[in-house]
Amino acid sequence: MNWVDWWATYSTLVLSVGVYGMMALSISLTLSCGLLALANAAFMGIGAYVSAIATTTFELPFYPALLLGTLGSTLVALLIGLPVLRLSGVYLAMATLGFGEVVRIILLNLDITGGPLGLNGIPLLTQWWQVLLALLSTVIVLQCLRVSRIGRAFEAIREDETAARLMGISTHPLKLLAFVMGASIAGLAGGLNAHYTFTLSPGNFGFENAVDILTMAVLGGIRGLPGPLLGGAIITLLPEVLRDLQEYRMAANGLILILVVLFLPQGLWDSQRFRGWFKRA
Amino acid sequence: MLMMCLSLGVLPVHAADPVRIGVAEALTGPASQYGIPILNGFLLAADEINSAGGINGQKLLLITEDERGKKEEAINVFKKLIFQEKVLLIFGPTLSNSMFAAGPIANAAHVVAFGTSNTATGITDIGPYLFRSSPMESDVVPATLKAVGAHIPLRRVGIIYGNDDAFTKSGYDVFKSSLQQQQVAIADTETYARGDVDFKAQLTKLKAAQVDAIICPCLAEEGANILIQARAMGLSAPFIGGNGFNSPALIDNAKSAAEGTWVGSPWFDGNAAAENQHFLRAYRQKFHSDPNQFSAQSYDALMMVAQTIKKITFTPQLDKNRELLRAALPMVSFVGATGPFSFRPAPPHQGKPGGYDAHQTPFVYVVRQGKFTLVR
Repeated sequence: MNWVDWWATYSTLVLSVGVYGMMALSISLTLSCGLLALANAAFMGIGAYVSAIATTTFELPFYPALLLGTLGSTLVALLIGLPVLRLSGVYLAMATLGFGEVVRIILLNLDITGGPLGLNGIPLLTQWWQVLLALLSTVIVLQCLRVSRIGRAFEAIREDETAARLMGISTHPLKLLAFVMGASIAGLAGGLNAHYTFTLSPGNFGFENAVDILTMAVLGGIRGLPGPLLGGAIITLLPEVLRDLQEYRMAANGLILILVVLFLPQGLWDSQRFRGWFKRA
Repeated sequence: MLMMCLSLGVLPVHAADPVRIGVAEALTGPASQYGIPILNGFLLAADEINSAGGINGQKLLLITEDERGKKEEAINVFKKLIFQEKVLLIFGPTLSNSMFAAGPIANAAHVVAFGTSNTATGITDIGPYLFRSSPMESDVVPATLKAVGAHIPLRRVGIIYGNDDAFTKSGYDVFKSSLQQQQVAIADTETYARGDVDFKAQLTKLKAAQVDAIICPCLAEEGANILIQARAMGLSAPFIGGNGFNSPALIDNAKSAAEGTWVGSPWFDGNAAAENQHFLRAYRQKFHSDPNQFSAQSYDALMMVAQTIKKITFTPQLDKNRELLRAALPMVSFVGATGPFSFRPAPPHQGKPGGYDAHQTPFVYVVRQGKFTLVR
């Protein structure tokens, strides 16, 4: 197949790989400081809806709309993060999943979001380089964060929160920072996603999507940035790659995920395992 | 391999080459309960056409892809069928939401996207390459209400519907506006969420409202439960359902509680017309099961496309052939399993030309002695 046909066929898939890479990074940020928060799909939904309403109903240009979407999910994350982050472990997971349901129900019942019919006729505005740029900026910001004092504090909180607090790390503001930054990345990813899929409906950002995003990060491995990117790409590409298996496709999809988690519990990208290979050699 | 693919793109279409037709339906996941009967309808029609020698000597080749009822997959499948499989037109996708996502792709690539199960308003606003053979709720509902009104008095009605589902919500919107047009008072409106099993609270209120009939734009699953619980609490007002009630599952599950329920739908399995009887017989023979409305609509859709292709003289260029089909398809005048059918141009949307909606008279029927019976 020539390049033009290849791109015409797979451009949406390539954009999805980038956008879901951002989503996996966004959840790995909260995971990296030990928070099992599952609200990222909801933040993606908020970003997507706000920016799509901005471009369709208010006919704003693309960039301000993207900015509004990102700000929207950031603001909501700040408001719900303050009380919710006092929880930890499974309670935090439950509270954030509950938040996701609340967002879905609100989207279903508002008039401006089109209710259960969703928003249709969203213009095609997302270009491949915009997704690439957003993804690269996310990676650069997160890499700078990792090697900074804040990144090391995240790691300390993840390993032992009490010890971290005794060392003088103010854990609550830092956890809030990770949560809110994750929401901003998700909001931006949502805005980009809305403008190449033409339509949004409340079901797009529900429980299933939240679990998908978590799977991406866990499958890829959360110790480092390449892991979530790899996981996002694999989960997005796998259903298309396995298309020839037809009705067995989703079963094969699940089987591959089970095998990876069974035999590579640290995820596909595990820098410690890689170092082990070099030592042996 | 690369050379082979490259040359495929520029190869002229020979008379012996099959006509490549894309089918994008939800074959796995929750929407597959509609997608699989739809695919069966296409397979039956393709079999009949090919065993009769094809169209002008060309066989039909269906290229089927699963879109799982998800918007991203619907887009990916549409692109694959258009740019890689080089199909003449695409049937599908199954859900209206998927069509809102994938339709713009086909329209921009100047390929006909033909929905056989999309009933939401606004589908044909996407552009002039959008066709659908499924009548909108806004066509079916007013006719249903008129037919029912001729048999029983309709002055005060109650409504119960699912407010978290695109299909039931748009059904409600349409019922509400046609009731207002026909000056029927809505005494009470109740809602439920998908997956609910207990409707007693809502039904108690509807009973207290003392209505002539209860409008239920519900799917058959919830509909059967609503009917059973209504009759159990002594609510005797007849129910009026939309497309979703047109399912044998309604009578199977609700049994005697379904008695006296009114349904409006584009297909009626008891329709004695020869086309429908032939379809019923052929479907049962091939699949050893009963067809439903979705298989009837997809069967008719492929048959009317075949009838249109017969009149087209294809050129060696796929782009031109796709345009020829788009130009010829609106002229369809067809009688099939769903009765007489033609297309109606959708009004322009924001100054841009629209696609083509189904122009069809719905069947209105009532459940009598455990069977759907046509209303005259």
